[in-house]
Formats: sequence, structure tokens, C-alpha cells
Amino acid sequence: MQSFSNFLDGTIALFSDPLGILIFLGGVIGGMLFGAIPGVSMLTLAAILLPFTAHLSAEHGIMLFSVIYCTGVYGGAITAILFNIPGAPENAPTAFDGYPMTQKGLAGKAVGAAVMCSALGGTISAVIMMAATAPIADWAISAFGPPEIFALVFFGLTVAASVGAKTLWKGWLSILAGLMIAVVGLDPVGGIERYDFNMPYLLAGIHFIPTILGFFAVSEIFVQAEKKVTGVYKAPKLSVDFPSLAELIAHKFAVIRSIVIGFFCGILPGIGATLAAFMGYNEAVRWSKQRDEFGKGKLEGVISSETANNAATGAAMIPLLALGLPGGALTAMMVGVFQMHDMEPGPLVFLNSPELVWVVFAAMFFANLSILLIGFLETKTIINLLRIPFQFLAPLILLLATVGAYAVRGLVIDVVVMFVAGVVGFFLRRSGYSVAGIVLGLILGKIGEQTFAQAMQMLHFEWSGFIGRPIALSLLIAGILTILGSIYGAFFKRSHTEMPEHQG
Amino acid sequence: MNYKEYLMPVATMVVAMVVSANVAIAACATDGLPDSMEKPSGFPERALTMIVPYGPAGGSGQVAQAMAQAVTDLTGVAINRDHKPGGSGTVGMTAFMATPTDGYTVLEHIDDASSAHALDSGRPNPAEGLIPLVVSQITFSQIYIRENEDRFTDWNSFVEWVKAQDGKATIANVSKEGSMERVTMKFITDATGMKMQQISFDKGAPRYGALAGGQVDALFEQPGDVRKFLDAGKFKPILTVLKEAPAAFADVPSLKEAGLDFEPLFRFRGFYTHVGVPEDRVKWLQWAFQKAFCQKSYQDFNESKYMNLIESFRDTEGAKELITSTIKQYRDVYKEMGLEVK
Repeated sequence: MQSFSNFLDGTIALFSDPLGILIFLGGVIGGMLFGAIPGVSMLTLAAILLPFTAHLSAEHGIMLFSVIYCTGVYGGAITAILFNIPGAPENAPTAFDGYPMTQKGLAGKAVGAAVMCSALGGTISAVIMMAATAPIADWAISAFGPPEIFALVFFGLTVAASVGAKTLWKGWLSILAGLMIAVVGLDPVGGIERYDFNMPYLLAGIHFIPTILGFFAVSEIFVQAEKKVTGVYKAPKLSVDFPSLAELIAHKFAVIRSIVIGFFCGILPGIGATLAAFMGYNEAVRWSKQRDEFGKGKLEGVISSETANNAATGAAMIPLLALGLPGGALTAMMVGVFQMHDMEPGPLVFLNSPELVWVVFAAMFFANLSILLIGFLETKTIINLLRIPFQFLAPLILLLATVGAYAVRGLVIDVVVMFVAGVVGFFLRRSGYSVAGIVLGLILGKIGEQTFAQAMQMLHFEWSGFIGRPIALSLLIAGILTILGSIYGAFFKRSHTEMPEHQG
Repeated sequence: MNYKEYLMPVATMVVAMVVSANVAIAACATDGLPDSMEKPSGFPERALTMIVPYGPAGGSGQVAQAMAQAVTDLTGVAINRDHKPGGSGTVGMTAFMATPTDGYTVLEHIDDASSAHALDSGRPNPAEGLIPLVVSQITFSQIYIRENEDRFTDWNSFVEWVKAQDGKATIANVSKEGSMERVTMKFITDATGMKMQQISFDKGAPRYGALAGGQVDALFEQPGDVRKFLDAGKFKPILTVLKEAPAAFADVPSLKEAGLDFEPLFRFRGFYTHVGVPEDRVKWLQWAFQKAFCQKSYQDFNESKYMNLIESFRDTEGAKELITSTIKQYRDVYKEMGLEVK
């Protein structure tokens, strides 16, 4: 009841403030638009807005980012479905079936399913978040130290290796490639310079945002350009037929399963919605009686992926608020918003600024509901992007992606990284490697390396120290079992989910 | 004696006290500088760019924002902040050195630039390879424990407890080898005979969370960065790394009171321009940045960060002396530590 009362207070605070309402609506529409426009994403919008949040109150700044997070995760599905360009890694599995649906002239159904399932997954996740975050915050800082966080990252990586690539081994190689990229720059413990090749700008490391833009957006343009040159390019058909309610109710189990998966994955710091979407999709395939239809334009593929990734949004706020650990790129930027206002996300936020927390919670709840209302209106307009000829759309995407890559840190090397990733991604996708796996390895590698080093320092460089930390030990064992299970599956059951052909 | 004979000297004394008190309150390091200065040949006729080698959210980002605002308020000249984080300040320094020497680009940097030069003379010496416009923040470090800690309560009991742990005690610190934090901890452990495992956290939030959550036994930090934890009664300082304790921490033992004999190192942040910038432009920039230090908005900012507990201001010559002595001190320590000094 206390949570409900706090939620009401947060709602009243949100909607009794005209500026707050304006920022809320701006965030909802901006998140959807930037998520939907090819080449840019909610991250681009967040990067652009970050300096301006210094001029907003802490409540408004953090609320804006949390709303963008909810609607941007949904918005990224649009480009995944229409152009096979995921707005973010968490929309990648949406493209597996969404893009073939577009090619079949069912874009409206796919986008409509994404709207409804994103709203549903996100709203339920927000409700659970409101009920669960405060208790977690109470024990999190004492229960979760560097050994536990490292173990979480390890566990996340072991699951992540089983998705996205054509074979388990290619999945692992993709993850390892990401981990190797993550070690470029200063080492997080001793400040040792690594793999900089006497280029000072490389000391800053390889940032994951230009890497994502390169691997997904730029490489997709190359793929489409190749088709155009070889004469196999087909302009997608246009349709705005939304799915019927009966069609969605028929997939109720897929929705529930994806909410559970999405929420659990969202709690894992540094993983969040991306792993949620992949696992939601994978489990849909595993439990379906029509496995062969996945990857060819099956509605359940879109439903599972989009429900799971939005279900992760609320959950990702738990490690952010409870531990100060960002679950992904956008939540990492939210840390910046906190710090600009002389605050640190973490349990002290609950102690020092409970009103802020509940305004943010309320905003996230209503942002997810807004997806339903605004999503349907917006979708009918956005689908018309399919009318733009490829030769005009591709340069625009490249331009926007370039701006997005440069905007992160103001470094030209990030633009170079984006184009290199685009070329490398083009060839890797042809050979069945997982570009999403590389990005996951990069993101988790940075967190994992640092927390591993801290954990070893805390445990006095004795591995046996993990035995005395039950949470860390359990996660490490679960991770090892996952690896063993996936190896067993690869050799004996062939249950590994292969990436659909059009992605390769 | 006539009461008027008493009244006169008393009144004079009261007036003198009030005047001197007002002077003391109003006095600021650059009050003597003129309130305005003519722009040399129209410089600057467009916005300045301030390169900040750290993110917008940390201590450097905040001081850059506060100083840029104060300079703009004073002169009407806009300043665009260009954050180039990464490589412990190397990326920002490299970007700055590549900009034209026309005075339109200034650099914010911290004492890391001095320690980097001390370790590798190939890196720019901030006192010679750059022109310091002003050092606007100088602060000291402290060691903190949790307020509700019951294994030790003050410096002496802490030292005793750490020694009993045989190297198992932990302290959260920043990561970089040769950093001010690491070097100071070496001074402290050498002087006391303590053995401690330093846990490397390069970001503030997890570093503070580690102490709050009991993941580590103590924390090395500057007071301004943990002020909210101090104000909230979560952390308490048990040692001030200064020869004499400042009034705000009078009950916390200083180095002298703790029997530790070494020269403390300071965290300082300042603003620089290129060597080679026309002299009249340098003079204008020096005036603008030094005068801005005494703008109310900047003074309020420094106060909120505990940057008023010791003298935080150095003009160009003072900054050069501070940097040069700091480099010498680091270089001596590095050699003593066996680090390779280039």
C-alpha cells in the first residue's frame, strides 16, 4: 500500500507540473521518433540532450531519460521491422521475423504487434519495479559487491553466447571478439596503456555506441547496397493492417513467458533488454510447434522479442537505482544525468530523494501506456518511410549514424570505428557470426574486467574467496552449468537456435 | 574620567572591527583586479572553446561548467565546453595541443597532468608547455569510515585494527598507479607500518557504495566529493591529510596530530591556454579567469564543494610554483617507488 501511495504521489507530482508534462510528452514522442528513424536511436537523442539536462531539475532530467528509455526501446522495433535495421541491439531479434513480414506486405501487423506488446511488457515491468525496487535497494549494497557483479556478468555472458550466431562456436567467438575490443585503452585497475598503437585517442577505448551503429546500421546499408547492385533488391510492400485482438490473445503464453524472461534479464546489469529480447525470441522458438516458420515472418517472433525487451526496461532500473549500475547504454547516460545534479544513483537516492524516484516510476508507467496511444497514431505515418527509395534513404541513414557516433564523445575516431565496424559486420554477418554477440562482449567486457580485478583484490587474489560469497558462487556455478548445457546441446541435441538465413 | 573618554576609543575599536570584518568577508583573492578590461584588438570576437578531458558529470566537468558560467557572466563571452574524456586526461590534452594558438581554446585540467609529466617528461609540463590562467580549486584528502562502524571508531583504533588484520584490511581508492591517491596511501602506510589492500575504483559511485555497503573497510577521498555522505551522517573522516587540520574538521586528526611526517599532496584543478598565444590575449584571459574566480556564483560553487577550507586560488605565477613543486615531489616519490621515470 505504501508503494501505491508513493505512486499516486509521484503521479500527482508529474501531472501537476506543466513543465513536467511537457517534458514527459517530449520524451515519449522523441523516444519513439528517434527510435524509429533509421541511423539514429534513443541513444542519439539522449546524447544530444545530456548537456541540456543540466538546465533542468534533477526530477525532470531523469524523468526525461527514463521516458525516452521506455519509448525508445519500442521505437527501435520500427526500423527493425521496416528496414532490418534495429534501432538498438535489443530490437535485433525483432527483425528476424518482423522484416520478413514487411517483405510479405505485413508491416502493419508486425508494427502493431510491437506497439501492443511493448506497451504490455513495459507496463507490467514498471508495476513490478515499483513493488520490488525499494526492498532490493535495502540489501543490494551489502549483498552485491564486485565479486557478485562479476559473477552476474559472467552468467550473462554464458547465456549470451548461445544466441545470434549460426553455431555455438561462432557465438562464443563473437563474444570473445567483443571482449578483446573491450580491453583497448587504459586498463581499469592500474591505468596501464593497452593496444593504443601510439594513438592517444585509442587510450579512451572503443565505445559501444559507434560500434552498435556500425555493426547494425552501416553493415545493413552495405547488405542492401549489394542487393541493389546485384539486382536482387526488392522495395518492401506497404500495409497498415494491424493485428486483431484475437491474434494477440492467441499468443498469451508467449507474452507471459517473455515478460518473465525480460524482467529477469533486465535485472542483470550491463545486459538488460538486449539479452531479454534474444532469450525471449529463443524461448518462443523452443516452445513452438511450428519452429520452421520462425525467421520467415512469424508474428510470435515479433511478439516475444518486443514483449521481452520492454519488460526489461523497468527491471533495468533496479540495478541502476539500487546499485548505481547501468543496465545498458541509455541507463549509463542516466548516471550522467544524476551526477550532473550532484547525485549518484544508488540506494542513497531512495533515502535522499524518494520523491524523485517516484516521479520517475510514475513517468515510466505512463510512458509505457503512452506507447499504445501514440504508437498507433505514429505508426501509420512512419510506415510511409518505406516509400522513400533506397538510394535516398541510405545516405540519410549514413549521415545520421555518423552524427550519432561523433556526438557521443566528440572524437573523430568514433566515426572511424563505426565505419570499420560496418565493413567488418558486413563480412561477419555473411559468415554466420553474431554482431550482437560482439557488442555484448564489448559492453560486458568492460564491466566484467573491472569488477573481476576488484573482486580479486578484495579476495586477496584467492579464488577460494568466492566460496564465502554465496550469491557470487551460485551465479558462477549457474554460468558454468549454462556453458556445459549449451555444449551438450550443440553436440547431442542440436537445439541451438540458428540465426535465420536472411540475417546471415 | 569622563565617559566620553571611554566612548571614543571603544567606538573607534568597534568601527575598526566591523570594517575589518567586512573586509574579511568581502575579501577575495582577485578583488584587486579591475572590474573590466578592454578586449585587445577585439579579442575575443566569438565564443571560446573549453576542452574538458573528463565527462560532464564528475568534479572536473562541474568546475568547468561553474568557471565557464562565471567568465561568461563577467565578460559576456560565451564558452562552449567540449568534453573529451578518456585515457586519464590524455585524450583531452592531445585534442587541446592540436588546436590553434589563437587564444580561443582553453583547457581545464587537474593535477593528473602534473603527475603524468612527472612520470613521462614527453607529456606536456603544465607549468612550461602551457600557460596556467588560474588554479581555482585546491583541496586535500581524508580517510573515511562508516559512521556506524563498530570495529574501530577513530584513527588510532583504525591503525591498530588494520595491523591486526595482517594485510587483509581494504580501502577503496582510485585506480591509476602513481596517482595522487596511490602515492599518498604509500606515504601513510609507510609511516604507520599498516598493510592494506587497496581496491581500485575509478568511478565515484561504486567507490562510495563499496564503503556504504561494507564491501571495504575504509575510503580515501576528498571531502567535497563525499560531502553528501558526510552531511547525511553515513561517513565520517578519521584522518585529514594536511599538516594542520582546517577549522571545519578541527576534531579530525591532521598529519601532525597523527604523528605522520610527510608533505601532503593536493588535488587541484585549473585552466590553461597555449604557449604562443599573443601576449595581450593571454593577459585578457588571465584577467577573465582570475576575476571570475571571485564571482559570487563561482564562490558559492566552491563553497558547496568544500573548496573554501584551504586557499583554492593561484594566479599564473602561483600556479606555476604549485605545479613545479608538485612535479618534483611526484618525481622523487616515483623514483623511490621504483617506477620508471622517463
